[in-house]
Amino acid sequence: MPLSFAEPARPVSLRRRPETLATMPTDAVETIETDHDQPAFAALVDSLPDPVMVVSARDAEDASDRRLVFANLAARELLRIQAAGGPLVSAIRHPEVLEAVDESLFGGLNGEAAYETGGAQDRFWRVRTRPLAPAADGARLALMVIRDETDARRNERMRADFLANASHELRTPLASLTGFIETLRGHARDDAAARERFLGVMAAQAGRMARLIDDLMSLSRIELNEHIAPEGKVDVALVTLDVIDALAPLAAERGVKLEIRMAERGRAMITGDRDQILQVAQNLIDNALKFSAPGGTVEIDVVDDVTAEAALAPTRAGAARLSLLSPDLVGGERFVVLRCTDHGAGIAREHLPRLSERFYRVEGQKSGERLGTGLGLAIVKHIINRHRGGLAIESVAGQGTTFTAYLPRL
Amino acid sequence: MTEQWVTVSGDLVEPLVAEVARLGGLAEAQIADCLDAISRRDVALAHAVVARDPKLDALQADIERRAIELIATRQPVGRELRRTVAALKIAMNLERCGDLARNIAKRSLILSESEPLTPLTRSIERLGRLVGARLKEVLDAYTGGEIEKAAGVWARDEEVDEHYNSLFRELLTYMMGDPRTITPGAHLLFIAKNLERIGDHATNIAEIIHFEVTGEEMTGERPKWDALQRRSEMLEGPLTSDRVQSMTREG
Repeated sequence: MPLSFAEPARPVSLRRRPETLATMPTDAVETIETDHDQPAFAALVDSLPDPVMVVSARDAEDASDRRLVFANLAARELLRIQAAGGPLVSAIRHPEVLEAVDESLFGGLNGEAAYETGGAQDRFWRVRTRPLAPAADGARLALMVIRDETDARRNERMRADFLANASHELRTPLASLTGFIETLRGHARDDAAARERFLGVMAAQAGRMARLIDDLMSLSRIELNEHIAPEGKVDVALVTLDVIDALAPLAAERGVKLEIRMAERGRAMITGDRDQILQVAQNLIDNALKFSAPGGTVEIDVVDDVTAEAALAPTRAGAARLSLLSPDLVGGERFVVLRCTDHGAGIAREHLPRLSERFYRVEGQKSGERLGTGLGLAIVKHIINRHRGGLAIESVAGQGTTFTAYLPRL
Repeated sequence: MTEQWVTVSGDLVEPLVAEVARLGGLAEAQIADCLDAISRRDVALAHAVVARDPKLDALQADIERRAIELIATRQPVGRELRRTVAALKIAMNLERCGDLARNIAKRSLILSESEPLTPLTRSIERLGRLVGARLKEVLDAYTGGEIEKAAGVWARDEEVDEHYNSLFRELLTYMMGDPRTITPGAHLLFIAKNLERIGDHATNIAEIIHFEVTGEEMTGERPKWDALQRRSEMLEGPLTSDRVQSMTREG
């Protein structure tokens, strides 16, 4: 069914009173004024991205006589308006919006209301209303502009969710600590063996809390500096070797073999913050160790001087691939690559997009003996972003995962 | 089905339909607000919901009066008569939804006096959003004359039932695990029941719309009995924690 709006009555009343369109760019109004081109005016308003409508009314008491005399394309699509002249409530029925419209129609005031539409897609709308001068036939007119504020609202909610998640993550080990303290004060007081075991568990839980708090603090520090370019020169190969030295005992304990291929000293140089690059290497290698079965191998590669395409070239056949972070490229950039490959269980395709989300853990990982904080990859991603680099993941279920971090070469 | 609702400006019944849509908007807002009052533990908002209820009652009475007046003085027939009667009946359903929302708001006041039961109120919120979305859909179908949409709401009734049943189990498990949660848990049970009934009203409205547009009753069995049956089985016999656990596992 074609959307046709009765031409004659409505644009005339708008055109006669340019002062009511004060919010529009003045030259746009003048163009409309001078060439008197009605179709051009309609096309102009139709191409506005935000829904715009004009409501008319005569009787303040009869709520059913608020009529939509004009709606631009965005409004017709959003509110599924099929023809002009229909009642406003058929299109929008939220009481606060109707009140705001009435304020503009009969109070001559600017109105504002926000409303949410549930359903499959939750959306959050803000409606602004402005009084217009009455039409030639005496009907009162008001302008309605709707703006989609879903994104702003969603960010706000994510922040709140993050707080809730963080407190939840902290509460779990705390609850276990409190429980053991109670037991140690009670019937386990004189049982030396149980005491030892409980103290071991408590130390592990306290360690988990400490790790989580460390991660949260470094994440907030990294975010603070995310848009400040790092200074200083870092040799990625040297830093990675430092991390490998530190993690070697853990690898030996787990019976995991490390296969190391390093760029020559002084070749893999980048502009960066040494501590942060250390953290990236630490988190990636630590992750790889965690996912390796005893007797497995973790490969660590530092490659100097490659293009972005070479850095992102597939390293595993038949793998699910996803770029978690890509830098802006102008062309011709050279990168230093830090690649970490494990031969563990791999990660199913459906988990990949959410991997760098805070507190996201792949199912089944929660039972690991050394529980991660769920923040490791989020930290890696933010650090790499600060260094204008990229991060990609490849994984084959049952065969293992490869993380590739690439940073602009000095 | 290809029935298309032609938008007629200024016909006999249109003001009535507009008023019903307005009442629908009020009812939707009441439901959304009473859910917010629970999840945010917002006492002032709960009081506001309770205070706004008479407005819905007055509007419903007004619609009823106007509908009867219209039937008496203009004697509409056929589709116009069906539209008038439908407006009358939908308004009654919406007013009941408003009453249920008011009741939920009142219970949220009691809930705010005890410790927060966040996982449970989250589940309540989910059920509430689902029910709210169904009411929105059916009201959109009403104002847009989209009969397929109404039929969709009618057919997907079991979704709400599934949510309600799993919430029911969740609540029982909680209350048995910690007797201190019995008072707020019981109120949450009633709240869940109220939400489920709002869902039923949405289904009723879908049936009314179908009748209004086609002049025929909706036929076919709604997939409802299963859920009711299961719930009554759950209520029979003494509830032991074993039984609740087995029910939880089943679900």
